[in-house]
Amino acid sequence: MVRFKNRYVLCEVLSDDPRCRQCIEDRAVGLAVRDAIARVHGDYGLACCSISFTVKYLNAYTGTVLLRCRKDSYRLLCSALPFVRHLESRAQRYPCALNTLHVGGTIRTCQKFLIEYNRRQLLILLQNCTNEEERQCIQKSLLSCSLTEEQSQSGDEDDDGTE
Amino acid sequence: QTILVVCFSVGYSAVALNHVIDFKEKKQEISKPVSPSELFPSLPIVQGTSKRIKVLTRLTLVVSDPSHCNLLRSTSANIRLYDIIAVFPKTEKLFHIACTTLDVDLVCINVTEKLPFYFRRPPVNMAIDRGIYFELLYTPAIKDSTMRRYTISNAISLMQICKGKNIVISSAAERALELRGPYDVANLGLLFGLSESEAKAAVSTNCRAAMLHGETRKTACGVVYTVKKPRKVEEEETTVPACKKAKTQA
Repeated sequence: MVRFKNRYVLCEVLSDDPRCRQCIEDRAVGLAVRDAIARVHGDYGLACCSISFTVKYLNAYTGTVLLRCRKDSYRLLCSALPFVRHLESRAQRYPCALNTLHVGGTIRTCQKFLIEYNRRQLLILLQNCTNEEERQCIQKSLLSCSLTEEQSQSGDEDDDGTE
Repeated sequence: QTILVVCFSVGYSAVALNHVIDFKEKKQEISKPVSPSELFPSLPIVQGTSKRIKVLTRLTLVVSDPSHCNLLRSTSANIRLYDIIAVFPKTEKLFHIACTTLDVDLVCINVTEKLPFYFRRPPVNMAIDRGIYFELLYTPAIKDSTMRRYTISNAISLMQICKGKNIVISSAAERALELRGPYDVANLGLLFGLSESEAKAAVSTNCRAAMLHGETRKTACGVVYTVKKPRKVEEEETTVPACKKAKTQA
């Protein structure tokens, strides 16, 4: 059976400017990544990677981004991700950095990884938090995160080949 | 200090702080390194494991003259305090000397301008045998486009000579945003011409082996041969088997 195979790259946006979190949106991130690919790999790289390139999932609170690309060109994409320096939106430029967390073949594997990663982050936050009610809040969310609850949010497993 | 915090959150387990000593000025005193406990009252824990993060100190000597190398042989107490010693040769002769006879752990390869000399195979092979690692920086590549070209061309010419062994990729980040996570740095290694496994090794096992090389250089100053009489002949040397042990362990 011939089917298009994709790779899903999970990244995290790091920045020191708190206003940057508000302007994380899918078009801005997509443009920034395409611009980085064009700078590093030129026209050929940009054309290769943009065959099936979209931003599948975005979480502005934690700065998590899920990108999709073809399996043949995911190396070009991954090697160009360190070169993303700015995010632009609404005529504002914010310096930022992208940190790759996980590369998976389906959205579900990336989702599983993200849940584990968030759980670890919550544990670290739990160690650092000083307020008692914050502590209880975090503990409650730790106990309640699981795969079945999230399934309604994120979408299908992988694409059908009609791209 | 914020850079260190970002390092830890991104997932590095050991960080080395670099002091650069340049010999163009008249008299340079090598200052004592800043001890890491001054920066952090308690070192945070690595994500994912339960060990504390190691912060090491590192000295880089920019040498453009053979007389500068005498400083390494001097028994100045301050040099002993640094965990890792790196040398940045500017001429071919110095590169040869650094690979063959100098007592260093890392040889920095210039990435910010066109190399004035070509690499030759004999000194590179001798450096690999001695357990010395070649270091490439990646932060200039992120900042500037012309530096990116020089970085890639110098890195690829190094790869062609040393076949991807003994490479360490490190950042010379001055701000927290110029740092990249270990997975991203391994992907940058792919751009430099390394294969996938070599690129991952350049970030993890080679760095570890360089750290161990530095430790053995600090602690052992001589060659000790111990011979067990009936069957086994066991020999202990200063630098080489420690690196081999590190490569098989890590």
